[in-house]
Amino acid sequence: MALVPEGHARAFEVVFDRHAGPAFSLAYRVCGRRTMAEEVVQEAFLSLWRSGARYDPARGSVRAWVLGVVRNRAIDALRRHVARDAQDVADEGFADRLPSPELTEVQAARREESRVVRAALDGLPPEQRQVIELAYFGGFTHTEIADMLDVPVGTIKGRMRLGLTKMRLALKDPAEMIA
Amino acid sequence: MSAHERDLGRVQSDCGRDAGAYVLDALEPEEAASFHRHLDACAICRDEVQRLREVVERLPLAAPQLAVPRSLRRRVMRGLRDGGAQGAVGHGAGRRPWRGAVPGGPFARLAGATPAVALLGVALLAAGATYAGVKLTEGSGSHERVVRARVTSPAASAVVRVHAGRAELVVRDMPAPPVGKVYEVWLARAGRAPAATSALFDVAADGSAAVDVPGDIRGVSEVLVTPERRGGSARPTHAPVITARLA
Repeated sequence: MALVPEGHARAFEVVFDRHAGPAFSLAYRVCGRRTMAEEVVQEAFLSLWRSGARYDPARGSVRAWVLGVVRNRAIDALRRHVARDAQDVADEGFADRLPSPELTEVQAARREESRVVRAALDGLPPEQRQVIELAYFGGFTHTEIADMLDVPVGTIKGRMRLGLTKMRLALKDPAEMIA
Repeated sequence: MSAHERDLGRVQSDCGRDAGAYVLDALEPEEAASFHRHLDACAICRDEVQRLREVVERLPLAAPQLAVPRSLRRRVMRGLRDGGAQGAVGHGAGRRPWRGAVPGGPFARLAGATPAVALLGVALLAAGATYAGVKLTEGSGSHERVVRARVTSPAASAVVRVHAGRAELVVRDMPAPPVGKVYEVWLARAGRAPAATSALFDVAADGSAAVDVPGDIRGVSEVLVTPERRGGSARPTHAPVITARLA
């Protein structure tokens, strides 16, 4: 990543190949539309290419930086889309139709990590999983979620914190998953 | 006291009750600013935020992991080689694919890092045919064959790029499919009914799209596109709007 600010396209290609999979998966999870997810990822990576110098290793991993940008753009795109055309039908099922790639070791490791993280999230009590998903994948604030669920804001904050804490414990040691 | 109990006990503390919402970016802006200031003075909350942030950084992987469409990679790399500084690019094929760029422009940036790519670009400029301002290699017997397709919409154009047994369909100025429908790509082989593919697509606002044609293209006589219901059809229900004869 250190080469990217200097305009090294090869270095950027490595970054893309390493993180495009999780990025596209995240964008699709947020947007629910393949076309929109592709646009989001395309624009996100090109914006990262243009702003590579702003990456600060002290503030987290490259993956966290890339996926943070993708998530924000995906949520923005979804909001613009909803505002523009609430009648559109999501192309659910497109993702299932994507061709299965030959699994490289990296891809296999990513899928395994994905399975572990999903198990940790799915292992939470529904009310905790729900608020985390609404916040992270839906981009809603805690007050919006409180309105949506008709639950006090303090309860929403508590569920978020408790859910994340339980997830952390589960990810550290899956055998100790707390119900 | 176990690690679980200690961690869960910390959650009961009121200090840091905003930590979860903070790392999820779910606080209102004023609250987030206030909590951010609080972090400067509170080591307990800083630790809490750090711990919870580790979880949030892994949350994207809770999404089902999908394959990256090859056409997406190509579009990003194309945008990058176009200079990447001209603002957001559209969804489709792009207006100025890198192969058509002038040597010494965007290629100069790549010269040190990817000489083979730059040389390929120069070779294409020297030997290629011209299509919509882009140098192509149809009939040259070199790396890529480009077939111009017949399109029913008068304003639209489409080409199929064939390379190493695989194909990409690139359309421009194509009208959007009818409401509730998508475009579906079919592969026809001599004497057989067109076979459905998993390639379903819509076009960007400017009518462009670049679609990978799944599977091995060898033996395919025609690539067809029809509007079909979302999710695709097993058999074509409309006449083709795009027909590319490969053989």
